Amino acid sequence: MTGDPEGAARRGTSLAISTKRLGVLTGDSGRRPRRLAIRDEVRLLRHGRDWRGRSTVPRSAEPWVPEVAEPEFPTAWARTPLAVAVRGGLLRGVMKAVVWSQTAPVVQGISYLDGLRGPAVFVANHSSHLDTPLILGSLPPRVANRVAVGAAADYFFDARWRAVTTAMLFNAFPVERYRSRRLRSLAAELVDDGWSLLLYPEGTRSEDGWMNPFRVGAAHLCVTKGLPVVPIAISGSYAAMPRGSGWPQPGRPRIAIRYGRPLYPAENEKAGDFRHRMAEAVARLAAEEELGWYGALRAAADRTLEVPGYGSAQAATPSAITGTAPASAVALSTRGVEMARWRRIWASTKPAPGVTRTGTRRRR
Amino acid sequence: MSRPGFVLEVDERTPPLLIHEGEGFRLEPLPLGTKVIYPPDSLPGIRQVDAAIRRALLAPEGTEPLPELLSPGMRLTIVFDDISLPLPQMRTPDIRQRIIEQVLELAAAAGVDDVELIAANSLHRRMTPAELRRTVGDRVFRAFYPDHLRNHDAEDRRNLVHLGKTPSGEDVEINRRAAESDLVVYVNITLTAMSGGPKSVSVGLASYRSLRHHHNVHTLRHSRSFNDPPHSAMHHSYDRMASLIDSQLKVFQIEATLNNDVFPSATRFLNKREWEWNVGDQASYLAVRRGNRLLRPMARHRVWQSQFAPYGITGVNAGAPAAVHPRTLASLHRQQLTEVDGQSDIALFGLPFICPYNVNSIMNPILVMSLGLGYFFNLYRGRPIVREGGVAIFYHPVPDEFHPVHHPSYIDFFEEILTETTDPLVLEAKYEEQFATDPWYVQLYRKSYAYHGVHPFYMWYWGAHALEHLGDVIFVGGSRKTTARMGFRSASTLSDALEMASPIVGSSPSISYLHAPPLVLADVR
Repeated sequence: MTGDPEGAARRGTSLAISTKRLGVLTGDSGRRPRRLAIRDEVRLLRHGRDWRGRSTVPRSAEPWVPEVAEPEFPTAWARTPLAVAVRGGLLRGVMKAVVWSQTAPVVQGISYLDGLRGPAVFVANHSSHLDTPLILGSLPPRVANRVAVGAAADYFFDARWRAVTTAMLFNAFPVERYRSRRLRSLAAELVDDGWSLLLYPEGTRSEDGWMNPFRVGAAHLCVTKGLPVVPIAISGSYAAMPRGSGWPQPGRPRIAIRYGRPLYPAENEKAGDFRHRMAEAVARLAAEEELGWYGALRAAADRTLEVPGYGSAQAATPSAITGTAPASAVALSTRGVEMARWRRIWASTKPAPGVTRTGTRRRR
Repeated sequence: MSRPGFVLEVDERTPPLLIHEGEGFRLEPLPLGTKVIYPPDSLPGIRQVDAAIRRALLAPEGTEPLPELLSPGMRLTIVFDDISLPLPQMRTPDIRQRIIEQVLELAAAAGVDDVELIAANSLHRRMTPAELRRTVGDRVFRAFYPDHLRNHDAEDRRNLVHLGKTPSGEDVEINRRAAESDLVVYVNITLTAMSGGPKSVSVGLASYRSLRHHHNVHTLRHSRSFNDPPHSAMHHSYDRMASLIDSQLKVFQIEATLNNDVFPSATRFLNKREWEWNVGDQASYLAVRRGNRLLRPMARHRVWQSQFAPYGITGVNAGAPAAVHPRTLASLHRQQLTEVDGQSDIALFGLPFICPYNVNSIMNPILVMSLGLGYFFNLYRGRPIVREGGVAIFYHPVPDEFHPVHHPSYIDFFEEILTETTDPLVLEAKYEEQFATDPWYVQLYRKSYAYHGVHPFYMWYWGAHALEHLGDVIFVGGSRKTTARMGFRSASTLSDALEMASPIVGSSPSISYLHAPPLVLADVR
């Protein structure tokens, strides 16, 4: 191909330039964007995501969250003798050692389990991922080895690796929180097979450390099967490791795990009534953190104890509202009295007695 | 059921969002309150594509079934969209191949011997034999190439015919073989609302003499937008020309629409909403981004250009052009339309690696301008997503790179003409004719693989509406030299760009980000 001199003349030197550029693909390759280090890239990628790599859904996108059919993950393998033996070693050799080294658990009322035989349902308030290791770690091995933990199907059983890990470490089985098919019989089947269950009747971890109303599922199971319920109150786990945290706060925060006397459903007792008794028992145990054992008993007897979803029998102002919130704060979710969210969190993260601002414990 | 498009309002829960920047992408934390316009989820593709094509050919809209239009001894010309569609190129078999094969089967059954296939490349570069083979398939290529499968030549005077003038005085000059055929079958892929319909024959087979009536600054400034045909002066011109063509020529139009499956499975995260990325998507993002940065520029070009989209076909419509195109547009809108409430002070656009004119080539600065201020800015119906006098911020490195074979006139346009002026009207009046008629460029267009000499002007006009509408144009990460040559500014970061825009839009501007690709057409109310 040859150039056209007339065309070139009309445009001055343009053809000379194009000829000069022929074969030269790249001149200034543009301003290179600032190169991010891999650490910065990962940080950007992880921004706003939890430890599982999941992001919260922006509010304006919530109506468009797709409904996905959750895959079924079998968990029966996690209850085989071999799995139980491995889990026992992991639980006591690793998990308990880690949790007990990072926090300062105080366990009370474990003696109430002495007379317990056969399957039971452990119910507890729930505000932290520490709750399950704390309960399993504080239970006697003969009991802990026979406990299956109800875990949110949409959270722990949405990916195979998470499902396998959760089932292995906690003997977890999926609980459908949104009335789907999965819970229909798995809990009942496990009880029939002689397994005790650990359930969190609130359905999810508390967002502010305060106990939420109990759902009726656990009570219904107990009433239907005639199972005893062991109430458990955990105080301080929200302050130690709330939602969104992946590791306990420094300074070995104190956490109290209180077991109550087992409750048995009365003959012909309705599930709703039994749920009330369960919630009241947990609320009373939680109130012991502030009021002491006898004070909590008195509050329950005086019917001034706030029971989540039920309020107090008397419309008395609970201690939390008047500024003497118990450190546990679990007993004081109210129906009749609303509090700002920040005040709930404030109360829930109140340092336990004897703990300095830096989180270190004062010597007595 | 695919989810519709929607507008996200960035809140504290929103993770950093993906933004394309040429042959790369980044995650960018956007300011709170930014409106992000997402396209609808990809629609499911038709499972039985061949059956859908057959149905369309046998039960067309507004005309007889194709077999009834075929007869022995007739002259049949099959015209198909060139390599500028779709973007990126689709995986084989190309939908054009599937359609052409079925048309040819019917033609063979009807005893048609005189068949020609023409790529409707207008003033685009010729397609190479390999590109033609990839588009029409091996069987068709072997049977027709080179004598009866060729590119349209808009500078071959002997093979052009002037059909007349429209009532508005517009010349209609198209390919002689097509004009003298008993039947023209046009095989189109409608990727954007501006494509297909009256545009196909009147542009794809036209000459400069005909194109200059709508590819000019005045028309493009009054095409608001050119993706909204009823409000596009350019499409009004197409319509007038198509009426004239239809009065003299029998055209059987076949139009296919695609879903939004733009990226292959290895980079499927590019098709997902960021808060729905799983661990695998995040790992893929990191791996692809880091790997991409390690590649040398030429290797990176090759890698990106070899990305073939696993498109699904969402519709095949056939028949008379005027009857077919509304159905095609309805199908397209189902896939691309998202309602947007109001305009913003600032619009953000991430410009991808591909535009219609750099397939198997290089995206030079003029093409970046055309992609941003032309194609992306005009992805609206009603009103632009940015208010008049607002600022457009684009992400692209705008490298000073040109393909010397494909874009020779672009080099001169960039080096010689833009240094004089960037005003489209001045460019049009003073320089267009020279470039359009330069024998050297004509030679390169006809015998090499060059875009026509006038093509860089058209690319500049493509952005004329945006240039008139916007108060400022800033390229994040853009080369200072190239952006300044084009009359724009460059910034290192989004924060810098917002700071630079603040004298125009204030310190608390409203911002909209058009989250594309996949393509989304903003229906701004």
